Amino acid sequence: MSPRKDIASSVVLILFSVVFLIYTARYPLDSLESPGPAAFPLVLGGVLLILSLGQLIRAFLSPGTTEEGREKGSVSGAMRTFFRGKGEAKVFILAFLLVIYLFVMQWLGFFVSTFLLVILCSRLMEAKDWVRPILLSAGVCLFCYLLFVAWIKLSFPQGLLF
Amino acid sequence: MTEQGILSYLLITLQIDNVIACFAGALIGTLIGVLPGLGPAAAMALVIPLTLKLGPTAGLIMLAGIYYGSMYGGSTTSILVNVPGEPASVVTTLDGYAMAKKGRAGAALAISAIGSFFAGTVSVIALQFFAPLLARAALAFGPAEYFALTVLGVVLLSNMTGKSRSRSLVMMMVGLILSTVGMDPIGGLERFSFGIEAAQGGISFIAITTGLFGVAEVFAVMAAREKPMEILPVRLRELYPNRAEMRRSLAPIARGSILGFLIGLLPGPAATMASFASYGMERSVSRHPEEFGNGAIEGVAGPESANNAASGGAMIPLLSLGLPFTPATAVLLGGMLLHGVTPGPFLLRDRPEVFWGVIGSFYLGNAMLLILNLPLVGLFAKLVRVPSRYLMPVILVLCAIGTYGDNGVLFDVWVMLGAGVIGYVMRRYGYQPAPLVVGLVLGPVMERSFRQTLIISGGRVESLWESPLCMVMWGVAFLAVLLPLVVPPLKAKMKGRLQSKP
Repeated sequence: MSPRKDIASSVVLILFSVVFLIYTARYPLDSLESPGPAAFPLVLGGVLLILSLGQLIRAFLSPGTTEEGREKGSVSGAMRTFFRGKGEAKVFILAFLLVIYLFVMQWLGFFVSTFLLVILCSRLMEAKDWVRPILLSAGVCLFCYLLFVAWIKLSFPQGLLF
Repeated sequence: MTEQGILSYLLITLQIDNVIACFAGALIGTLIGVLPGLGPAAAMALVIPLTLKLGPTAGLIMLAGIYYGSMYGGSTTSILVNVPGEPASVVTTLDGYAMAKKGRAGAALAISAIGSFFAGTVSVIALQFFAPLLARAALAFGPAEYFALTVLGVVLLSNMTGKSRSRSLVMMMVGLILSTVGMDPIGGLERFSFGIEAAQGGISFIAITTGLFGVAEVFAVMAAREKPMEILPVRLRELYPNRAEMRRSLAPIARGSILGFLIGLLPGPAATMASFASYGMERSVSRHPEEFGNGAIEGVAGPESANNAASGGAMIPLLSLGLPFTPATAVLLGGMLLHGVTPGPFLLRDRPEVFWGVIGSFYLGNAMLLILNLPLVGLFAKLVRVPSRYLMPVILVLCAIGTYGDNGVLFDVWVMLGAGVIGYVMRRYGYQPAPLVVGLVLGPVMERSFRQTLIISGGRVESLWESPLCMVMWGVAFLAVLLPLVVPPLKAKMKGRLQSKP
């Protein structure tokens, strides 16, 4: 694990614990005899803050940190490293697809949007043709419909069509 | 309880719906073990809505079947493809794959199935005796003891997961923090839900687990280039180990079973640790340590037995204390609570049919897995060839459906997606998801016991460590924190001194 990654993750964790502690202050702490809802979160937030501060300090103290940090510190450099493989870009696209999937579900319904998701996802993962992804998607949706809706009687968001 | 009473409860397993549930669980578990992309914890989380239809006993038998079935399946791909299906089978690749390359794949698979069966059975027998004993002892546990035990669990778990102790501890804290979202367990006040109605009952455990172990894995597979896999062939007549192989495997299987079971009792990723510990032990006691890594059957027999025994051992703290220390047992706990079954000291008294029904299913499930795995091993191995471009979209859909089906709210699916993205980034930064999931489950128990102890004692902080039991647990926890800090520098110093002497 490079110190740069250590520093970045520690900073995120410190921010997270500080925000969490600020929110904790909204709830009553009460007394030691009867600790309130803020007592336990306060301890947890405090421990996380100490741990992540410790991690940050150790990362700074470890040799070779600063030079590496300066070298690769720029935003464009980081973006380039992140997207260095086609794979990472695909993860980004898939995450975006999933967000859209969740949004359109309200209009198209669960099964129609899931049908489209499987096809697109399969194509994104380098399926060469359209026929097999479509067949796969139809099969999966039918299986899930029979299992979860017909048998277990769960209800899923319904759209304009289905 | 009389022996006859126990027997009648054990026979509950043989009711037809329970047998079907056991078979389905074992089969799903084997498939999960073989296929990449979905670990046992996520798979169990996904079938929880399904098990609600089956009722508590059959439902939990099915969940348990997935849990130990995945241990069987994991070894198949380790041996034939050099790709471990789950972490506990990593060590099997060393000698299992080497054996396969020498044309002894069948023998390695058979020995691993036989060892798993033997170890699984040993651990169930021990479970049957130890779990009620521990449950009885746990009746003496008050809130202070429960708090000390959860703290000990947190400390030991972070010592044993992954490479970095501080990272594991950090993840555990994040899990504990996430567990505080929703109703406060004592006063009922709503916390950290930001006005979102679906978050008032707490963050869905299933959404987090499927996100971290399912969706994040799909992202990871997507990021990595797909490599064509070479599967070594298995012929049916090769399936049986020869006499020498059988003889050499007996002692490792026995040692692995005992070692695995004992490690299973400890809080931590028991199955993985057990397999590594057993491999180390076999190599050190072997007369031919040079064979290890080149296809020593002991290197397959020991670890494969150990990881199965450990998964049985890990059921003891869950069933008798209600505390899970692995992600898979954490999901099992979640499933039990959804079925209205509370694991812990009172489980045996209140729901003996569930307790013994699940234990009985371990016997049946192990036998089924042996029958299922020996002849069908070639078929299971072929499943690895299913291209990820078809497998991953299916896993994504199952994650979405399983998560939605749990509570019927779309918010949970958003949580799953968020957990998936964060889980993927976390792994790239060297943080493991397992401690987070365990923290999420231990959180409410820890908070409740912490606050109850203070309320009962009238605010005396000493009451958290005053009782002898608490002192022992706190003592072990402190040692577990201090020793890794003190021992390595001391060792280095000693080494330096020895080297400086002429």
